[in-house]
Amino acid sequence: MAIVEFKNVSRVYSSGDHELKALDGVDLTLDEGKFVVILGPSGAGKSTLLNLLGGLDSPTSGTITVCGKDISQLTKNELADYRAETVGFVFQFYNLIPTLTVHENVALVKEIASNPFSATKMLEEVGLADHAKNFPSELSGGEQQRVSIARALAKNPKILLCDEPTGALDSATGVLVLKLLLKMARDYGKTIVIVTHNQNIAKMADVVIHVKNGKVVSTENQANPASADDIDW
Amino acid sequence: MLVKKMLRTAWQYKAQFISMILMVMLGVGMFVGFNMEWVSIEENMYSFFDDSHFADYRLADEKGFSEEDIEKVKKIDGVDAAARFITVNVDVKDKDGDSVALAVTTNPEVSSFVMISGEAYDENSEDGIWLSDRYAEKNDLKPGDNVAFIYRGLEIKGVVKGLIKAAEQMICVRDKTQLMPDFATHGYAYVSPKLYEKTLGFAYYPQINVISKLEKDVFSEKANEALGKTTVTLTKDDTIAYSQAEGEASEGKAMGSILPALFLLIGLLTMVTTMHRLTAKEKTQIGTLKALGFHDSKIAVHYTSFAFFVAVLGTALGIALGYAVAWAIMNPNGMMGTYLDLPEWKLVFPWFCGVAVALIVTILTLIGFLSVKQMLAGTAADTLRPYSPKKMKPMAIERTKLFHKLPFGARWNMRDIVRHKSRTAMSLIGIIGCTILILASLGMKDTMNSFLNLYYDNGLNYSSRIFLSEKATDAERRAVIDKYNGDFGGSVSVQLDEKTISLDIYDVTRDKIRIMDKNNDKIDISDDGAYVCMRLAEQFNLKAGDTFTVSPFGTDDVYKLKVAGIFRSVSENVVISDKYAEACNVPYTIDSVYTDVAKSDVEQSEVIKSVQSKQMIMDSFETFLSLMDMMIYLLVGGALALGIIVLYNLGAMSYTERYREMATLKVVGFRDKKIGRLLSGQNLALSIIGIIIGIPLGALTLSYMLKTLASEYEMKMAIGFGSYLVTAILTVGMSLLVSLMVAGKNKKIDMVEALKGQE
Repeated sequence: MAIVEFKNVSRVYSSGDHELKALDGVDLTLDEGKFVVILGPSGAGKSTLLNLLGGLDSPTSGTITVCGKDISQLTKNELADYRAETVGFVFQFYNLIPTLTVHENVALVKEIASNPFSATKMLEEVGLADHAKNFPSELSGGEQQRVSIARALAKNPKILLCDEPTGALDSATGVLVLKLLLKMARDYGKTIVIVTHNQNIAKMADVVIHVKNGKVVSTENQANPASADDIDW
Repeated sequence: MLVKKMLRTAWQYKAQFISMILMVMLGVGMFVGFNMEWVSIEENMYSFFDDSHFADYRLADEKGFSEEDIEKVKKIDGVDAAARFITVNVDVKDKDGDSVALAVTTNPEVSSFVMISGEAYDENSEDGIWLSDRYAEKNDLKPGDNVAFIYRGLEIKGVVKGLIKAAEQMICVRDKTQLMPDFATHGYAYVSPKLYEKTLGFAYYPQINVISKLEKDVFSEKANEALGKTTVTLTKDDTIAYSQAEGEASEGKAMGSILPALFLLIGLLTMVTTMHRLTAKEKTQIGTLKALGFHDSKIAVHYTSFAFFVAVLGTALGIALGYAVAWAIMNPNGMMGTYLDLPEWKLVFPWFCGVAVALIVTILTLIGFLSVKQMLAGTAADTLRPYSPKKMKPMAIERTKLFHKLPFGARWNMRDIVRHKSRTAMSLIGIIGCTILILASLGMKDTMNSFLNLYYDNGLNYSSRIFLSEKATDAERRAVIDKYNGDFGGSVSVQLDEKTISLDIYDVTRDKIRIMDKNNDKIDISDDGAYVCMRLAEQFNLKAGDTFTVSPFGTDDVYKLKVAGIFRSVSENVVISDKYAEACNVPYTIDSVYTDVAKSDVEQSEVIKSVQSKQMIMDSFETFLSLMDMMIYLLVGGALALGIIVLYNLGAMSYTERYREMATLKVVGFRDKKIGRLLSGQNLALSIIGIIIGIPLGALTLSYMLKTLASEYEMKMAIGFGSYLVTAILTVGMSLLVSLMVAGKNKKIDMVEALKGQE
């Protein structure tokens, strides 16, 4: 079943008389519960794709339907609610609130999500229950990224969106984080979309979407994705 | 190239840049303005006193001084000039009710005047009259016109030769019952000695005015020796013009000291934080310049010159603002102009303001230098790493259970406050300062009003005051008292040690005259003692039970009085009952009757000189109040402006520092409004804490100000509930307004951009 549908979506950034087509007539369908990797060189438009899907930005033209709802014409507040309920973000640089403890960073979502998971449970899941009272700056990068995964999932979203989630980590830690991310998505039955330029991550995906010059070049379904342990990082 | 960079940097941080300049401008402006006001008044006054040869000493003798006397005084070693002098109120012929203070000086070098227009003074002129220019203007008189005055039934007829201003009449009032000059009905005129003596038929001068640098004691002794008799010596301070004008300046000084200095302090402190933050933000750029091979000194000069630029521009604008503020309070067309009749209204830039301004520029530049120096420390690589605020550590309060029950927003804000201590401290100082300024200013107004209300309600328990004519006989005086069923009063100028004060005698059988003690409670005036006003009590260290002696002005008689109590007064005086005056044999003339009969119901008669209603007396205070109001509005307006600039500046800083956090909250799904509430929550909390701290400090400031004003007014501090409320509302309102302004920026957060870089 399709959870995400892009129909002829374009996003044009214009400054003065200069126009930049970040996305150019993208058609795309993502099925529920799949692990999707969006692959492409920098500047290809993959982050723009993710931002549109995450409700951080609106398309210049075309429609985006998520869970049967058109999100391309929403107001700012409707978009905020969409972000609160439907998507969970994991960023390259974690983006935790430095003045909140690990537990509070996760519990934060209770303020906005209507059906959140318990923060304590999520922290147990990512193996950081012992660090609940620490501040983000007291944790390692990998640990911080695990907190941000716990935060993204605690909202109980439909889709997890990850922008280079291992980009700031060394490869060993990166693999651990990736495995955790996948396990959690599978356990909770979430659709997960990762944007990366790392070919290895793509090997693990159900679907690999190649993006170049603002267009979807190909969509590749992998019947038997590799497991993280089989890949030579 | 670097200059270009500096200008672009200034543009990039224009909000901070402009707010720094505005803060310096407001701080310097208020400080300079309020101090310039009283310094200018003083300067203009003193040069007026000099130009019109205001006398240092006056010898007084009701019997008059002869030509030999003046020659003797002139010969005293240390006397620069002397003149026989008389000033007396006379009626103006054909102008019913008008009067002028007629003055004659035998020497134009003593107690004379400055010419405004017309012919110069000629003491031998047969018909020369030199008229107050303001009186002339109000009464359509010009040089060449004939005027006549009636003095003791004699007509002094002459021609207006010129228009003048005289320092002796700088505050031109008929007598102490008139508080504000009104040139339409009362002015002054100098008459040539020749015309005066010709009209009178002889030369009567009850005063010798002297210009001398001698000490009072020395002069007094030498004068007595030269004249071969004891005469009263009056100093400048004993004259209305000099003492009132000094009072005006000291009132300005009281308003000018603590509050404007507070402006300066707040402006400077916030400027310091902003400067430090600005260089901190520029840290990577400083690193880049360093890495490129620029010498530390060159980079330091670059950023220091930035601070210097802000300081110079800010103080320059501040000085301009200062001139505007000073002019608003003191100008010939304003309230000050109706009160003081000065020939010149020059604004004088006080020397200490010059020092202060130079110091400010130096300090600000130094702060800029020190901030860069801090950033320059270490290697280029160190500097290239972006400035990071201190790591979070749990606060002590977090161990309590209560803390974890607080909503997340509160916890967030509390930690943010702790993390950015200096920013928080600056915000608090801004709010506290604002609260102090507003409360002290409004409290000043309250104190004045409550004092006057009390005086109106409790002090003046009559409807009208009837002034009796000097020509009235005792029987006629008694008749008026009986007819209007009033209390009567009289007053005698007496010497208390060196000081000339007023000894006021009242009949208090009908309870028309009341006095209050220092707690504003009514004192029952007893018949066995004198009541001394608070100022005199303090100055002469008098308390109930003490005795002191007074000597009526111009006599050698001495009366011993016992202190029965201390009271709160509008003027410097001693009050006794008529019975006590009789018991002590103090001679006096009944000059007023205080009655419940309305002014309009008092019949005109030869015996009655004039009638003053209670309202007229109160109205005369209004001018003083409106002068005070002017200063208060300026201070409150300035305080609010300063508060808004300081808080906005800090809010904008906080916004930049929390930009990433807020972008994250936005991405997670928080609505703009909710984020806005988080931010304004912090501002509101700080405002409330600031108000709680600021209110007692404001009251303290006011009591200090009242102490410095104690020589002018005997007022008890009174801050109305309304003032507390208005202070709190204005401060919170200002804080919310700023929150709103900052929150507006929320909507502009670019989530995508904000999340790209590393923290």
